[in-house]
Amino acid sequence: MNIPSEKIIDVRDVVKSFGNVRALRGVSLSVDKGEVVVIVGPSGSGKSTMLRCLNALERIDGGSITIDGVPLDADSRHIHQVRTEVGMVFQSFNLFPHLTARKNIMLAPRLVRKKGEDEARAEADILLKKVGLGDKTDAFPGQLSGGQKQRVAIARALAMQPKIMLFDEPTSALDPEMIGEVLAVMQNLAREGMTMVVVSHEMGFAREVADRMLFFDEGRLVEEGPTADVLDRPKEARTQEFFKKVLK
Amino acid sequence: MLEFLAQQAQIFLDIFAYLIPALPTTVAITVTAYLLAVTLGLLVSLARLSNWKSLRWPAKAYVDVLRGVPLLVQIFFIYFGLGKVLHLGRFSAGVLAVGICYSAYLSEIFRSGISAIEKGQHEAALSLGMTRLQVLRYVILPQAARIIVPPAANEFIASLKDSSLVSIIGLRELTRAGREYYSQFFVDFQTWLAVGILYLILTLGLSRIVAWLEKRYRVHGYGVAH
Repeated sequence: MNIPSEKIIDVRDVVKSFGNVRALRGVSLSVDKGEVVVIVGPSGSGKSTMLRCLNALERIDGGSITIDGVPLDADSRHIHQVRTEVGMVFQSFNLFPHLTARKNIMLAPRLVRKKGEDEARAEADILLKKVGLGDKTDAFPGQLSGGQKQRVAIARALAMQPKIMLFDEPTSALDPEMIGEVLAVMQNLAREGMTMVVVSHEMGFAREVADRMLFFDEGRLVEEGPTADVLDRPKEARTQEFFKKVLK
Repeated sequence: MLEFLAQQAQIFLDIFAYLIPALPTTVAITVTAYLLAVTLGLLVSLARLSNWKSLRWPAKAYVDVLRGVPLLVQIFFIYFGLGKVLHLGRFSAGVLAVGICYSAYLSEIFRSGISAIEKGQHEAALSLGMTRLQVLRYVILPQAARIIVPPAANEFIASLKDSSLVSIIGLRELTRAGREYYSQFFVDFQTWLAVGILYLILTLGLSRIVAWLEKRYRVHGYGVAH
């Protein structure tokens, strides 16, 4: 295919340290519009840090990150603009416990997009239906299961109509029987053409949904390629070693 | 015996009739000072939680100094010291002294309440594009309020009692009225008993209101797992 690709995420030589710990040691990568990328790697490899840098939850020490043409530099307006267009889903859901599912979803559109109450509510209800929770509009997070919480969290991020969705180990805190329902929602999203960057240990999901797989180790991007290639024929020794442990 | 009781009842009626007009002043000092304390206390707690050292340090000094000096001394300092320069009346000086002193205590309560909210709440809200102020107003403070309200309400009750110290600069609140009555009629036991009863009615009434508020703002399923 010769469709011209459009880079929506462009990361160059990014360096990030936490005190003495060098979390990212010069990472460059790019993601095309509509692409689904899964990042894998051992814990402490820097994959979550990389993801959190993409919406400036962590500030980088060196290199550059450009999201849809906007540089994530010291300008707080740039950071704000990027955050309104990049949705994020966290391992621990981070729903607002004092608000109902519907109000969790309505809050940012109301405050950031300045939408009216009625419009925001109608959109929230549509999104809740979309993630299969049309009957949970008035439930508080404390009344939902882990899988339901994570689906509300996805709906909440989608309410901002983001161009990119970041997922930071979205199923790692879930009981096994709830993982499927969350992955199904993510799969639908991928089918709709959403650009997604997913840090995950779900290799089955990666194989089915991800266009590309990136393998991180010790703060570096060690290997990348089409998902099946990386999974089945990893080139680097460290990648082979990792999959041997994970896939057995 | 009956005659004695009747006489005592008359004395108490007399005392209460003298004291009650001073009650609104006690309430006014307390409420005004507390509103000042909440405002200042919130600002100071935010300064202490700030990323900027140049804000954190003065805020810590403010709290340390105000907590380390007796309120009575602060009242003298503000009325006789600052008050002379700024031409403060008794009421303003009293309110300022109690309000500033309590802002230090409240700022510590606010600070612990705000820092008890997990980091993920900030991050989720920021990642949705909210400004820091919106995160604070709509995400952090409503959650922190549940932690803050009980101890902050205790401080309100404490400040009501401490407003009696303002009597020392001649502001005619409840305690001052008691002293006036005593010095006119030399009835000591009954006067201070009556003053004590009036404070007790106020503080017990407040405790009931606080308990009701706590129950009212309980969120279903909140505080379990989230």
